[in-house]
Amino acid sequence: MATHDSPSMVSAMRSRYEQRGERLTALRHVRNALVSLAGLIGRPVLDQANGEIGTVVDVVARWDGDRAYPPVTGVVVRVGRRRAWLPIEAVEEFRHGLIRLRTARVDLREFVRRHGEVELARDVVDHQLVDIDGVRVVRASDLYLARVADVVRLVGVDVGFGSILRRLGPARLRSRPTPEKVIDWASITSFGSQHGPSGTLQAAESGLRRLRPGELADLLEDLGRAERRELLAALPPDQAADALEEMQQGELVRLLRESDTVDAARLLSRMEPDEAADGLRELGTDEQETLLAAMPVEARQRLATLLGYGERTAGGVMTTLLVVATAAEPVALVRERLRANRAHDEDLAGVVVVDDDGRLLDDLTMTELFLADVDITVHELIGPPWPVTVTPQAKPAQIAHRLVESRHGSVVVVDDEQRPLGRILADDVLDALMPERGRLPFPRRRRS
Amino acid sequence: MLLLAFMGPGIVAANAGNDAGGIATYASAGAEYGYRTLFAMVLVTVALVVVQEMCARLGAYTGEGLGALIREQFSIRVTAFALLALVVANVGLVVSEFAGIAAALELLHVSRFVSIPIAAVAIWVLVVFGTYKYAERLFLLLSLVFFAYPISALLSHPDLAQAGAQLVYPHFLLTKDFLLLVVALIGTTITPYMQFYVAAAVADRGIGPADYPREKLDTIAGSIFCNVISIFIIIATAAAIKVRGPLESAKQAAQALTPVAGRFATQLFAIGLLGASALAAAIVPLSTAYAISEASGVERSVSKSFRQAPLFLGLFTGQVFIGAAIALIPGNLIALLVQAQILNGLITPILLSYVLVLANRRGLLGDAANGRVFRVVATISVVAVAVLSLTVLVQFVIGLW
Repeated sequence: MATHDSPSMVSAMRSRYEQRGERLTALRHVRNALVSLAGLIGRPVLDQANGEIGTVVDVVARWDGDRAYPPVTGVVVRVGRRRAWLPIEAVEEFRHGLIRLRTARVDLREFVRRHGEVELARDVVDHQLVDIDGVRVVRASDLYLARVADVVRLVGVDVGFGSILRRLGPARLRSRPTPEKVIDWASITSFGSQHGPSGTLQAAESGLRRLRPGELADLLEDLGRAERRELLAALPPDQAADALEEMQQGELVRLLRESDTVDAARLLSRMEPDEAADGLRELGTDEQETLLAAMPVEARQRLATLLGYGERTAGGVMTTLLVVATAAEPVALVRERLRANRAHDEDLAGVVVVDDDGRLLDDLTMTELFLADVDITVHELIGPPWPVTVTPQAKPAQIAHRLVESRHGSVVVVDDEQRPLGRILADDVLDALMPERGRLPFPRRRRS
Repeated sequence: MLLLAFMGPGIVAANAGNDAGGIATYASAGAEYGYRTLFAMVLVTVALVVVQEMCARLGAYTGEGLGALIREQFSIRVTAFALLALVVANVGLVVSEFAGIAAALELLHVSRFVSIPIAAVAIWVLVVFGTYKYAERLFLLLSLVFFAYPISALLSHPDLAQAGAQLVYPHFLLTKDFLLLVVALIGTTITPYMQFYVAAAVADRGIGPADYPREKLDTIAGSIFCNVISIFIIIATAAAIKVRGPLESAKQAAQALTPVAGRFATQLFAIGLLGASALAAAIVPLSTAYAISEASGVERSVSKSFRQAPLFLGLFTGQVFIGAAIALIPGNLIALLVQAQILNGLITPILLSYVLVLANRRGLLGDAANGRVFRVVATISVVAVAVLSLTVLVQFVIGLW
């Protein structure tokens, strides 16, 4: 659903770049001092007298919350057959393919990972990362470290194919950085260790919050299962639900299946009911019931009703989001109510007017409401054109026929007693009438 | 078609084994050795069940394809080696699929120098311009013709006593040709491509640990079902061709369907072979391109243009046209089909080792990692396949002198 090339998208990205403050990899002195992580692994650790005490196994950084560039806390060194811990304070020189110690002798302790620490070569390189600026999922082919104001930090990630080739070559060539496709770490969301004890999402959280639902949906679809779960858990529930609404049907079902029942139920109950029902319809009856049982009563009833209608009927395609007014209310109050539903403006085509028993009296268009005087009551607006209604069982072709006949932009779905249940917009009917346009059948179905 | 909708990834993946190369290899086995390869097929079935189950489990518990898993779990060089092996094996398969298309159309009197170029361009256009989905259904429908084999096998009054005895009586012929054929049988049944397919398909359907028991059944049943069909192909061909010797042409292989189709056996065989080959000629290069893109980190690539996804579409295009070009080299198409399966058989143990290591890893699968007994069985399967492949390879190298 997210179109990557639309003008609004481009401007959104531009503003995102502008909002970002100083980017370390853009600074020349940092760029010149980049140290390739892949180039350090397997290289010697020297003492002050150039004697080799071991080889680099991994570099450890600390993911700490809001700071954009994780500081390096130390190096895991192989000394003989032991994996020893070398705190960064003991390192004098930290450059291409070489680590030199500050002191002649060090106290080598066994390496034990502390909370919040991540082994970069093991847990980050070759794993998935989210590039928030480019709105895409990438796989790190190398990481770049640099000394910034006397602290060695993780400053960038390389996603180029060239870096993969460089790592395939002889060890001597590996230390040379090829920063052709470096993404600044400030725009990266990383998942740390998936299987280790400290599975913490290191996210530029404000960055995540700026993503639009369609963009988030794209990212969620591309991530592996563990990463997807972490990303979902890091999002505010409403933002997560909005993203789920934008997901492709098959991907949504996959996500619901693999999530815990409680999480899936919570997300579903926060989604637009018709989108949630569409997702639920794809699941088996058992799965549906388990999920419904885990939801709050109100959401459960709403969804159960929707699920009762066939998928290709008016009940199945309608949105249950209705702005309802009674005849006695003043127009100003109704406008106020519309404004409160601003978030759903795409689904609002009018205001239904009901009598005391909840039966449909009229369907006011936005134009009618807009042109009316503020101080009159809804009652005075009731009149032709009369609302176009269908039953929940109506087929898309019938709805299309009613729309063509009446030249309305939407129809109201009513039950046997004329109580409004939902609304169907002309474009929903189009969707229902158009055959599914699939593309490649293997191995992942993508929208075209 | 309704039936296909209900099939799980396990069944679909295993059935993909009955492609052009599969038909040719099983038919060759029947023609040359009668029922004598049946015991080998029983062993191959056990190995297939073990392997497919591990792949499905990896897909279900990690939600990732094998390409991504190998990249995350092994060093970059070891990863590159695995992917290179996959590409070589799959290019071999693509060659055999085009050879299958050519063999099928030669039965209908179309020269391969006409059929292969047209097929290659048609498949490329269908996939790249996105109307492949409908073509796929047609091909699948055509390939269902091969379900005629079991009926044919029973109608042809095979020597059931002998077939039964050969199924359970453990034996091998220690001749070079027999070993080669067994490696081809392994290569066509336990194809590297299928391991990647089943893991990706399971992961993509969102089948998680909770649904895994059902998926496991599906995978095991699918593997066994598929090999039962293969065994029937061997039996039907063995019963139809009385003179033992290497299979010389597709026309000869088609005789096995005579009990069902009478004098239309050739046409029926051609239709089935065309469907199965065309289906796989698109899916195999797609799955290779997918695995490599996944491992190199350009996951969103399937429905993009050339400029947006050069690696993915370049890999796809390269395989289709290189495969088609090799299939154009004059020679015996059936022999080419079997040779491609031997190549796969040689590469299979390499990728099986990766699968085995991944499925043994508790750090990756937790409690779902291979248990002690399973580990022994799986290791024996992989080692047996590897020993056979190595034997054939050594024989080949010695033969060069």
